[in-house]
Amino acid sequence: MSHMLTKKLPPVQSVSFLVSRRASQLSRQRYDVIVVGGGHAGTEAAAAAARIGAETLLVTQKIQTIGALSCNPSLGGIGKGHLVREVDALDGLCGRAGDWAGIHFSVLNRSKGPAVWGPRAQLDRQRYREFIQAELLSTPRLKVLEGSVEELLVSDPNPAEPGRHRVAGIRLANGSQLISASSVVLTTGTFLSGSLFVGQTLSPGGRMGDAPSSSGLTHTLRDRLGLRVGRLRTGTPPRLLKDSVDLSLTKLHPPDRQPTPFSFMNTHTRCKPAEQLPCYLTYTTPGVERVVRESLHLNCHIQQDAKGPRYCPSIESRVLRFPGRSHQVWLEPEGLTSDLLYPQGLSMTMPPDVQLRLIREIPPLHRAEIHTPGYGVQYDYVCPTQLSPALQVKNTQGLFLAGQINGTTGYEEAAAQGLWAGVNAARRALSQPPAALSRTESYIGVLVDDLVSRGVTEPYRMFTSRAEFRTSLRPDNADLRLTMKGFELGCVSAVRHHEAVRVRCSLQNAIAALQALTMSSTSWKKKLPGISMSENKNQALSGMDLLQYKDVSFEMLASVFPESLAPYMEFSQRLKIEAVYKPHCDQNKSEIKKIQSEENMSLPQDIDYFTLSVSLSQEVREILDRFRPTTLGAATRLEGMTPAAIANLFKYVVLTRRQESMMSGKQADNEEERGEEPCKRNASLPQ
Amino acid sequence: MYYSAIMLPVSAVCGGTYRAVIRTLTTRNIPLYRRLSSGGRVLAGLADADTIFALSSGHGRCGVAVVRISGSAAATALRCMVGLGNQLPPPRTALLRSITDPHSKEVLDRGLVLWFPAPHSFTGEDSVEFHIHGGPAVITAVLQALGSVPGMRPADAGEFTRRAFHAGKLDLTEVEGLGDLIHAETEAQRRQALRQMSGELGRLYQDWSHRLKRTLAHVEAFIDFSEDELIEEGVLDQVDISVCDLQAEIEQHLKDERRGERLRSGVHVVIAGATNAGKSSLLNTLCQRPAAIVSPIAGTTRDVVESALDIGGFPVLLSDTAGLRDSPDLVEQEGVRRARERVQQADLTLLVVDSTILPSEEQEAAAFLLEHLRTLLSSQDQPGAGRCLLVLNKTDLLPEAHREKLNLELRRVSGLPPVCLISCQTNEGLKDFLTVLQSSVKTMYVYYFITSNQY
Repeated sequence: MSHMLTKKLPPVQSVSFLVSRRASQLSRQRYDVIVVGGGHAGTEAAAAAARIGAETLLVTQKIQTIGALSCNPSLGGIGKGHLVREVDALDGLCGRAGDWAGIHFSVLNRSKGPAVWGPRAQLDRQRYREFIQAELLSTPRLKVLEGSVEELLVSDPNPAEPGRHRVAGIRLANGSQLISASSVVLTTGTFLSGSLFVGQTLSPGGRMGDAPSSSGLTHTLRDRLGLRVGRLRTGTPPRLLKDSVDLSLTKLHPPDRQPTPFSFMNTHTRCKPAEQLPCYLTYTTPGVERVVRESLHLNCHIQQDAKGPRYCPSIESRVLRFPGRSHQVWLEPEGLTSDLLYPQGLSMTMPPDVQLRLIREIPPLHRAEIHTPGYGVQYDYVCPTQLSPALQVKNTQGLFLAGQINGTTGYEEAAAQGLWAGVNAARRALSQPPAALSRTESYIGVLVDDLVSRGVTEPYRMFTSRAEFRTSLRPDNADLRLTMKGFELGCVSAVRHHEAVRVRCSLQNAIAALQALTMSSTSWKKKLPGISMSENKNQALSGMDLLQYKDVSFEMLASVFPESLAPYMEFSQRLKIEAVYKPHCDQNKSEIKKIQSEENMSLPQDIDYFTLSVSLSQEVREILDRFRPTTLGAATRLEGMTPAAIANLFKYVVLTRRQESMMSGKQADNEEERGEEPCKRNASLPQ
Repeated sequence: MYYSAIMLPVSAVCGGTYRAVIRTLTTRNIPLYRRLSSGGRVLAGLADADTIFALSSGHGRCGVAVVRISGSAAATALRCMVGLGNQLPPPRTALLRSITDPHSKEVLDRGLVLWFPAPHSFTGEDSVEFHIHGGPAVITAVLQALGSVPGMRPADAGEFTRRAFHAGKLDLTEVEGLGDLIHAETEAQRRQALRQMSGELGRLYQDWSHRLKRTLAHVEAFIDFSEDELIEEGVLDQVDISVCDLQAEIEQHLKDERRGERLRSGVHVVIAGATNAGKSSLLNTLCQRPAAIVSPIAGTTRDVVESALDIGGFPVLLSDTAGLRDSPDLVEQEGVRRARERVQQADLTLLVVDSTILPSEEQEAAAFLLEHLRTLLSSQDQPGAGRCLLVLNKTDLLPEAHREKLNLELRRVSGLPPVCLISCQTNEGLKDFLTVLQSSVKTMYVYYFITSNQY
């Protein structure tokens, strides 16, 4: 089980061969997939594309910043932890990297239902980077190039596909070196026309200490491809010297006693339970608010119109929006050996001397020293309604976007999109049809669907409330939901697939065994005297029903029926969760089916909605033109759609389908019946 | 990732809930609470929430109403509401049966029952049709009873047709009309909703919708922000309390017998009077369309004719009744019985009198009218004070001088209901009459609104 989490990093064979500092050192000038950017989205995209089988090139400004955590030293959380589990279920990197680098694990929301538990960890920055770099550099078919992309090569479209342009590759800065590719994935983060703000100074760039990216890329996207872009902002807090902080004045926040790994492939984390570091909690004072107000005129960033992350606001936004309150500040470790602390909640953009004054208004930080000041970033994002559900730009064949460039915020959101864009970029390069992931089966599907069908007006962050079917989309069952599918897509290794099949079989067998244990409630009472249950003599209850009771655990049942249940002790928690949610999931099924059937009805992407000879109101035509939903299901979720419009679109889709099938003649039904998986005990688990 | 949870996420889901609530309220499908999950509790009856029902014939009074049910629980509904033993009726065969409430076993109506097993039905699913009598009370009772069957919910607009489409039951030519149909359906609902959204009632609904959105936001914040993020204590308990309160309020609002119904369908105004006084002409004048057949033959209107209209911004349900007289005709007798029943239930009675039958001496008119009132309506039918308007019709047939004197004289006399002189033929006096009518309706409406809010 723990074969993926060795005490050593994956072997990095001849790094010099895989990494090139100059394009001339590249062994080839043509790749299947080029990924631009080495952040959370870029690394997942490159790794996923290579796993699928595409010859992949990752271009990044600095190899040493691959896998860098630009802002907070943590991963996961509520909704975000769900994404990490799903990325892991599809064999992505961030879950395993989190298990390797985590130094403080806790599952948030424990007091609520397991569907909204949020696995989370504080990370050691160094270890996280190490893991990601080692993993990438040992991935077959993946090559890493240090460089800056000057522009995208755009050529005429393939007439057989929709789209006005086709991406053909990239041109690097400093020389006219061209590298061609079938697919290009842009994961530029905050670097697209990025500006950095500290106090009243403004400088170009996407991250302090790194060179700004070339303006050529923005030019290509905006002027050459005609993409609509918007502007967003974000920020990061100053880093504090740990020694200068009086931690005795804070409230200690210990990690979970037993760390919960992110990855389905790990039974434990690299960090031993006792080695974990705590976090510290403190609060802002009225002095903090005073300093913010006094320095507003020195603070360019806060006066900007661009929308910032609502759920990770700067200290300026917090005190201005909610004056007169005391706000939480978390002091988080930056690593096992790091002498820095990260003050979560104190993202700020005033001049450095004012930053120092501000933090010293907080009692434990009275004598604190700043290692690096906080700063703000403004950057361009491409309005994501211009993308297909494969994260491909609709009007440009082969161009994929992932991460902050799509208007999201957060490592996990970026990683999820990166993986999905990488999978689809590779599939395109290998002439495979785009892969689809429904919002009924995953948070990644919810994320992508929300982005491409509704767009964003402020940085998008994942929440469990965004997922309609959150009782079935749980962190505990991401492997059951996605790993088999990922294996079919080619982005999941045989080892992981094998493990997921084993887990699924065991769970199915265990559920069948529980259901076979059916007896009257009176008999159950005799077996389990301590349990309070309503006594209805006629009612037969199965072990599965019983497991739904709050105070019944799988262990209890297994101790009564060791011969049938003991083999499944390994899955006791998962079985308990399955039992608790079974009624909810059964309820969801018909709704899920309905959504899926509408998602199967695709709307052509090149329709001119204004001239379409279907009875639609002008208002509806404008909405459809603006969002260009890819399926009827997406259309029904648009704000402002009317039932009549949906009915008429229905008709249109069916008509076009008929015409198409008449044109292409009768195509044989070449969808093969997929063979059943080896275990056939009929118990219901998500497929 | 830590965050002080004061900025609540209100997802777009709210919009949907809001619309669902409004739709449910406006379509008067009673079991609203089935659509609200209250603070994490799972309500029984949602398990197979896929069987839908609706009144498939139009709203309003009609001879026969068709209630249609589609989905897997259709057979269950049929079994528990129609005495069939354990057997389902033969497919697609009309049977005359009593339709009963599944819980109280009270007979709701006697009507035709049809069973269409899947796939041979309009929607391709198991379907049932009840052909029942068209009175609003019967329809409401049947819909309410259906709503209490586990697994049933009121259909969304156009949902039957959509299901039929999904099941491949409609061909494209049939679908041609679908959009327009749904459009008309939703347009009517929209208008109805808009009418209800103005004024006091609108504020009430808006308050509900606001409270629902708030509880939804609280639940979302509760699941999306962890224990350490300053979510106030007991959010979920508060949500539970406020959803229960809201549920009780809405149930009360829907259940408050006549008051709530008046709020939704309007003040009931009944036109009554002797035969051939011009009652139907008055209805038509008020409706500005021929809703009732008018003829000079006494006894033309034999049943109650209803019409919903808007008087000065207040919804009014106007009923024309059979002329009150002793008739040997059995049907007409029944009409007269119903007319008297209506007058008893009415909020406001417009007693129409043919002004040409008044005595030529103006001073005697009041006494004549009082006597006329007494003979026309038996003592128990006498409308209470402020609940009746005397409408003297056909004033075009009176000499103008006589008309004016009559008007002055009748205003002087106490003990008579307010009197209006009009001519449905020439519309003379109509404007003054409408002013009086409007102020009476407004009084009634405000009265119902206030009393219905005293819970």
